[in-house]
Amino acid sequence: MQRRTFIKNSTIAAAGLMYQPSMAFREDPLLGQGNKRYRLDTKWSHADVARNPVNDCHEMVQDSKGRIILLTNETKNNVLIYDKTGKLLTTWGSEYPGAHGLTLFNENGTEVLFICDNNRHQVIKTTLEGRVLLVLDYPKETGEYTKAEEYVPTETAITANGDIYVADGYGKDFIIRYDSKGRYISHFGGRGNEPKHLLNAHGVCVDNRDPLRTCLVVTSRQQNAFKRYTFEGVYIDTIPLPGAWVCRPVIKGDYLYAAVLQSNSNLWKQSGFITILDKNFKVVSNLGGSEPTYVDHKLDEMYQTIKYFDYPHDVCVDDEENLYVAQWNSGKVYPYKLSPVI
Amino acid sequence: MKKLFIFFNFFSAAVTAFFTVLQLKRLLLCLPILLLLLLLAGVDCKAQSTVQLAQPVLKYPSLFFKTFVAVEMKFEQAGTQIHYTLNNQTPTTQNKVYTHPIKIKKSFTTLKAIVSGDSFLSSEIVSATFIKEGFKIKLVQQTPANERFNGTGLNTLIDNKGGIADMNSKTWLGYQQDSVEINITLEKKQKLTAVLINCLQDQGSWVFLPAKLQLFYFDENKGTFELLGEQLPDHNKQVSAISCQPILLTASKKIKAQKIKIILKGIKTLPAWHAGNGQPGWLFVDEIKVY
Repeated sequence: MQRRTFIKNSTIAAAGLMYQPSMAFREDPLLGQGNKRYRLDTKWSHADVARNPVNDCHEMVQDSKGRIILLTNETKNNVLIYDKTGKLLTTWGSEYPGAHGLTLFNENGTEVLFICDNNRHQVIKTTLEGRVLLVLDYPKETGEYTKAEEYVPTETAITANGDIYVADGYGKDFIIRYDSKGRYISHFGGRGNEPKHLLNAHGVCVDNRDPLRTCLVVTSRQQNAFKRYTFEGVYIDTIPLPGAWVCRPVIKGDYLYAAVLQSNSNLWKQSGFITILDKNFKVVSNLGGSEPTYVDHKLDEMYQTIKYFDYPHDVCVDDEENLYVAQWNSGKVYPYKLSPVI
Repeated sequence: MKKLFIFFNFFSAAVTAFFTVLQLKRLLLCLPILLLLLLLAGVDCKAQSTVQLAQPVLKYPSLFFKTFVAVEMKFEQAGTQIHYTLNNQTPTTQNKVYTHPIKIKKSFTTLKAIVSGDSFLSSEIVSATFIKEGFKIKLVQQTPANERFNGTGLNTLIDNKGGIADMNSKTWLGYQQDSVEINITLEKKQKLTAVLINCLQDQGSWVFLPAKLQLFYFDENKGTFELLGEQLPDHNKQVSAISCQPILLTASKKIKAQKIKIILKGIKTLPAWHAGNGQPGWLFVDEIKVY
């Protein structure tokens, strides 16, 4: 054996020996606690940053074909449509500079999207291909607004009969209800000191998990809470989430998922995580966050523990229980994917 | 997953590799490799992720105290521990592990803490300096604060409550004006060395450090207030973090006095880089100590 070959061979042998015990020795840490634990993939998106950049990745939904739809305020491509493996299938949209809220609704067998645009002060209903079907301007019918700039919608929720609820989360914190044609019905919430009031009403969703107690779940982000209301806008109760700047509630199966933009204990320092609540609104797992602990049925303050995320803004749960996390102001990163570990 | 830095068990691997080399005469040839492996090996055999732990969460009633303050630290994450120092040294994994609330009695004690855990990079340091009461103050009078941020009453500045980096905490007095005057009468005449003023910096909420702080003492012989110290903080510099900034005004000469006056000059207009460019900024103060 020549000297050079020998050295090469022994190096490979050593490398092989080193590698195996190490792999068996330790695996990547899992995120979360209890039976809601996940493995993280930060390289899920295969999009080419030169061709299809993103800015803030605000929200994501899955359509009935299984595709993952992302909304970003990058006007080169406001909507990016992926398959579940992260392959970019198509993109559209350049007229949504303040693209923020994205909700998918199945309207008599046809899926439509509702986009909230912070900069345009409008809610826009489109087809999955981006054709505009309806535009909701600022709700002067409420008597609460004098100009469009006061209204900065962040989220929509659509009930089975097509009623549209818009959360004015960066404006005056009202929830405005319209019929399916976009005609104003009523409004509730707004700012104030009573429990029914909201502060940074960032998200809204319909909770159908308990057929006897269907309701709306609304985010009051700066109050670190969700608040429940009837569909008529009557306040039911508050679910305190101490320490957590929760974004919109996302319900899938028995669970409620929400991105936590940041921790109160470490404001504006990339201190976000993901929280998961069971159907009794009890926090069961925090991904990248503190283990939820209840003392006398009262939840302890929650906070980021591991810096997996900077400022997560939304969670999308697909048909196989995988999560996709879109982030705001986090170095223009594409969404991450998390796979459940059974 | 971002598992990039894997510290293999170089040592045992190298030894194994060595024994697989049966012919002794080959030993000389592979020695350099062995030496290299040993060098790289260090002592550790951990697999370490590049993901970092967040800072521990500090919980305390106030940064200011009369006799002592109990400080609690929290970090509910399995497989991690909090290490801390109280001697101003940078905490490492060699330092004491936190188990129960720490009682701090000495003024200007700085608590520094980190979190460490096997699978992650250690956290950044979190630190807080706890400040004991100075000379007894008989009376404090200040320019009335803005009604939205007027603290808990007349004694807000001397109630030992503060150091909470949240503008909505009721411990703060908030001002949106050029000049704020604070008059203090001590219980008795004292030899003055310094005055501490705790200010808030939260530029995102338009709260800036004062542009100028002046300390005067009342000269009984002259019947006038005389300048004793001055500070010009770097108030215009862009800082994204929200924090409490205790500013110390040291006496420029040795004098005894009972009455002192502090003048704070707020930022007149917000700087060009700020979203509120040209508009008036805010000044927040929550505590004053005289030494």
